[in-house]
Amino acid sequence: MIKAIIWKELLQYRRDGRILAVLFITLALGFAAAFNGWSMVESQQRERQAAVVSDRTTWDNQGKKNPHSAAHFSRYAFQPTSSLSVFDPGLTGFMGSAIWLEAHYRDPATLRSVEDAVEIQRFARLTPAWILQVFAPLLAILLVFAGIAAERERGTLRQVMSSGVPPQHLFVGKAIAALCIIALLAPSVVAAVALAANTHDEVGLPSVGLRLTCIVLAYMLYIGAFTFAAIGISARVAKSKTALVVLVGFWATSVIFVPRFATDVGSALSPAPAAADFEASLSAESSTPFWGGSEEAQQRRANVEAEVLERYGVDKIEDLPINYDGYLLQASEEFANGVFDRLYNELWGAYETQSDIVRLFSVVSPTLALGNISSALAGSDLYAHRHFADSAELFRRDFVKLLNEEMIQNGGQDGYGYMSDNDFWQQNPDFSYTPPSIGAVLSNIWVDILVLLGWAITAFLIASRGVRFSFKQEAMA
Amino acid sequence: MSVQAITAQEKRALKSEPMQLFLLVAFLLASLYAVLQGSAYRQAQVDVADSFTAAQEDRNTAWRDRLVAVENGTTAPEEDRWAGLAMDVSFPATISPGPLSDLAHGVSDVKPATSRVSLWRSVDRLFGNYQVQSPIDTAAGAFDLAFVIIFIMPLLMIALSYDVLSEDRELGRLGLLLSQPISVRQLVTARLKVRFGAVAAIVLIASLVGLFAGSAGQDIGTRLPFMGLWLLVAAAYFLLWTATIVWAISLNLKGETTALLLAGLWIVNGLVGPASLSAAAESLYPTPSRLAFLSEAREASAAAYKSQADIMQGMLLDHPDLTAENYSIPEYIRTAFLVTKTVDDSVVPVLSKFDDVQAERRRFLSKLQFAAPSVLTLQAFNLAAGTNLERHIAFEKSVRDFKQTIMESVEGKVLVGERLSLAEYDALPRYNTQNPSVSSVLGSVALPILFLLALSVFLGTIARSNLDKLQNHLRET
Repeated sequence: MIKAIIWKELLQYRRDGRILAVLFITLALGFAAAFNGWSMVESQQRERQAAVVSDRTTWDNQGKKNPHSAAHFSRYAFQPTSSLSVFDPGLTGFMGSAIWLEAHYRDPATLRSVEDAVEIQRFARLTPAWILQVFAPLLAILLVFAGIAAERERGTLRQVMSSGVPPQHLFVGKAIAALCIIALLAPSVVAAVALAANTHDEVGLPSVGLRLTCIVLAYMLYIGAFTFAAIGISARVAKSKTALVVLVGFWATSVIFVPRFATDVGSALSPAPAAADFEASLSAESSTPFWGGSEEAQQRRANVEAEVLERYGVDKIEDLPINYDGYLLQASEEFANGVFDRLYNELWGAYETQSDIVRLFSVVSPTLALGNISSALAGSDLYAHRHFADSAELFRRDFVKLLNEEMIQNGGQDGYGYMSDNDFWQQNPDFSYTPPSIGAVLSNIWVDILVLLGWAITAFLIASRGVRFSFKQEAMA
Repeated sequence: MSVQAITAQEKRALKSEPMQLFLLVAFLLASLYAVLQGSAYRQAQVDVADSFTAAQEDRNTAWRDRLVAVENGTTAPEEDRWAGLAMDVSFPATISPGPLSDLAHGVSDVKPATSRVSLWRSVDRLFGNYQVQSPIDTAAGAFDLAFVIIFIMPLLMIALSYDVLSEDRELGRLGLLLSQPISVRQLVTARLKVRFGAVAAIVLIASLVGLFAGSAGQDIGTRLPFMGLWLLVAAAYFLLWTATIVWAISLNLKGETTALLLAGLWIVNGLVGPASLSAAAESLYPTPSRLAFLSEAREASAAAYKSQADIMQGMLLDHPDLTAENYSIPEYIRTAFLVTKTVDDSVVPVLSKFDDVQAERRRFLSKLQFAAPSVLTLQAFNLAAGTNLERHIAFEKSVRDFKQTIMESVEGKVLVGERLSLAEYDALPRYNTQNPSVSSVLGSVALPILFLLALSVFLGTIARSNLDKLQNHLRET
């Protein structure tokens, strides 16, 4: 019986020009989005590769220079773009792709592609994930809004009941038929994955296959939730017209309005510091208390001097077997690192609180939960960026220390006059980055997974009970 | 039933029908929320600009006081050799918040708003580390009044009106209604006047609340002309949607088909159109690689550092007047100046390329924006609000030009190692913020407004003709 219902529904869909038109447009947009995503990721990866090479070459050939001057010039860490960003670029364009690893200062990531974007890109971005998040539910609504209500309006529900079809069979048959049509969007996703495999990902995401499987499962839950909810609403309301209006209203609210509103509330309740204030705090709190003229700063430097004189058992700086300027520079770095940790933890904390506030709204918008899951698995979310930024910062500290050590150990009494040359620069290591494991990623999104699962189960129950309810109503009528 | 009776009935329904009331109250709350969050946003913009300028002015005052002390003999020149150091000249440059930035944030949340123009910074670093806004917030976009008007308002209008005629027809009441001295056109007009009147009133109230709430200390009289333009744009967009809805109603389709048609238009206008246009603009006119630009700047900096002696020699050959031997100022200052100048010379052409690409994109979009009224309206709103991309790009360029002017003015003093005199310092130009003028904004938004109005008239005329035909058809049947 279920098979018969599926065939009947599919036949009806095939005859409905509106559905074919929406399907065709969505599919075309999906392909365009996949190509657009591939083109963007491919060019970002190519540009990154070139920048990494250029950074190394420039560093290696800077000639004679004091290691501390070199530490000011320093290196850059370039964030790799994951291949799965072809499917879901997440926050990639909004977070900066290069971090300057200079001495004395922890810089935020700069060069955000959103700054080069046209104004209207803020409305909508053509990506495969966006197409599925926005248009797949709409297609589901279009397919099933009239599913039960129209049967009742036309009087065919009574016929179905009289032929002995149980409500669950009707529900399952209609749901499967609708999902089969939505599955026709799969070629655009396959295209995105195929194109993603064709990018030059230097820093491969661990467990890409598993990530991809999880992404597919998450989108299936999401689309299933909308499909079931649409059947449920269609079964509960008197007219298909009402079902359509309610469902489109719900779609617009949960897919378009709530995500924007939620982030707005999140940033109002947990604001990030103003850029100028943050920059001023970084400089003032990391540098002045060590290098400034205050009593506290002078005492701090005196303590460093006393400690190093004691360690080497000498009375005067001039008698030290090391370069004291380099030693003092390293001491200042270690002092500043604590400040950077505190200030950046506050900054990341503000972002993460925003993210948690937004997550609360996923109770009314499954799109938010899906967006978190999708971008996290694609390696393009906030966590991925923080992981990269923190890794870059650890490298910066080691790298600056390496340069200071060069000055300390080999600079003798030359102070800032000590020079290193290309032989030394060419031995210095590169920043090497390993993205987080899938276990770490999943531990950040388990709440989103539960919420999405909750949405799918609730929608399933609404649909299942709704169809039973409509059968009872019809029997009583 | 007369037109007055229909109007009175509609007014009663507005107050008593729960769904209509809920939608209107929700829209009012969303509008007021948008306005109030916008006023907080604008206040924060003003505070950031003010505190930044104040901090820079304090710094400059302290710098100037030291120079005054040397010139009037309070401090001996050898006691403060850094007083009046030309290389240390710096001035604040800020872009003033747009006159209505509270109502349409535009690109003001991702573009730099302040700069400390210092000779120590090459032009690629003039704007400091401003990229600390939350990426979550930036990616979602603002929930401002422009968003509410462009996205939520049309959907509300559709929900309130899609069955304005079809419901009566489907319930078999239309014939009865039209047996009264009232035409179809009058019936539709009377009903929409009340329903859309309520929507328009909410937009007007929200805009007026915004005018006062978002002033952030600015004179209301200054904001008023821009508000006039804003309301003209909003009115034109509102009229376009009114005409579109009346046209859809006049097609005399089933209620659900009318709703589907209008929802489809809303999606194409608000989502598919902008996403496709922005993807097309960015694919056809790709910006040069920011990473390549960064590499170029670094290579130039490293090369300049290595060949500083040659650069200095070249400079002295060009300017024999700069051979004064007053090098009480450490050499690294001249080196830094020359390196920065060389980097500037190298990166300014690349930055100009970015500007050129943006200009090409804008030219492209200025033609294609007519394909999607939402794009047209957003750009017009941003223009009226002073948060458009063009203004921000012009700000960045003007800051670069300003730095060039300052650099040329003090170049000789830096190279020779002489201090600036007080008169010379006071004669240096200061950065002047460019505010958008009402006439220039009017010139830019006039065509979009006229186009929206023309499209409204076109659709309205067709709708009128359709409704008249429907009237005749109903009379005949």
